[in-house]
Amino acid sequence: MLAEFGKKQNIPYMLLSDIDSNVIKSYGILNDQVVPEDGFFYGIPYPGVYVTDEDGKVVAKYFHGTYKKRDSAEMLIAAATGDIAIDEEAPVAVGGDEDIKLTATIHGGSGNLRQGIVREILVRFELAEGLHIYGAPVPDGMVATEVTVDGPPGLIVEAPVLPPTEPLTLAGTGVTLQVWSGVVDIRVPIYAASELATEVAPLDRESVSVEVTVRYQACDHETCLLPSTEKFTLEAALDVTEVPAIPIHQGHGQREGNYDGTPHWKRLLERKPPSRRPI
Amino acid sequence: MALNRDEYGFDAPVELGHPIRSSLPDGHPTGPEVGDRLPDFKLPDATGRIIDFHADRDQSKSVVVFYRSAVW
Repeated sequence: MLAEFGKKQNIPYMLLSDIDSNVIKSYGILNDQVVPEDGFFYGIPYPGVYVTDEDGKVVAKYFHGTYKKRDSAEMLIAAATGDIAIDEEAPVAVGGDEDIKLTATIHGGSGNLRQGIVREILVRFELAEGLHIYGAPVPDGMVATEVTVDGPPGLIVEAPVLPPTEPLTLAGTGVTLQVWSGVVDIRVPIYAASELATEVAPLDRESVSVEVTVRYQACDHETCLLPSTEKFTLEAALDVTEVPAIPIHQGHGQREGNYDGTPHWKRLLERKPPSRRPI
Repeated sequence: MALNRDEYGFDAPVELGHPIRSSLPDGHPTGPEVGDRLPDFKLPDATGRIIDFHADRDQSKSVVVFYRSAVW
């Protein structure tokens, strides 16, 4: 069944079968709210992802409160490679100047928004040699780097993910501040909840505007430039989501799979019918 | 379908309260942590061939996805 599924859905990576959920159980991620009386549903994991290095050690993991929230493939690749590639097909806006280049874009899915799939607003600073910007907290009168994202109702915006800073001790005062220099990537995870894009109805519009506000202050070892606030508008296309090609999911205006799961669904219902909550 | 929307703001074509709409409880363990070596496992692939995870992976980085179903 997995072979046919993999072929019909053009899946280039390996699909493994954990029939008795032994690996799921050994990892401690069996969904224990689904019980044997739930028939063939029993044995599913809480879905999630582990990214490992060459030694098989976990470098990143992604588990969410809701099973509908999943991370973009591009984010998994960035975790594996340590590098964020900017997608030329994604919406992008540039600002700053020749010494402080600013790019705002959407990382993941070429910038489109689908129910539950996490994208990132990426704000990339490219600072000229000798310049730095600040991480919080900063002394009175100085401005720490801040990125805020505003979108339509139904766009969930999470806290920015900041890269590690480096300490910089000011010669005159001996005060140590936390700074970034060179290329600085600030990432703000966002995703569409069903109010914005739902799997049970067609889309009601083609795209939405996402406003990104970047506040920062750049200094070199002698002087500080005035604090700056720059605003960018990114137009994110909305997209429907992928659903299995079985009756319960069909007819809602989504992208239905090429693999027809109906015969297998019927077999599952015959062999291991749910008794607690019939479908 | 607004009545079917859960507390996270997500819809599904199955009524609220059905066990397959259950989500990860706060504080529930999520398996190996960052820095841990993934426990080894042997499972059949789609052709029936047994894959020995670390041996087959050899020196490659990997992305291991636990998903719910290929059918529903």
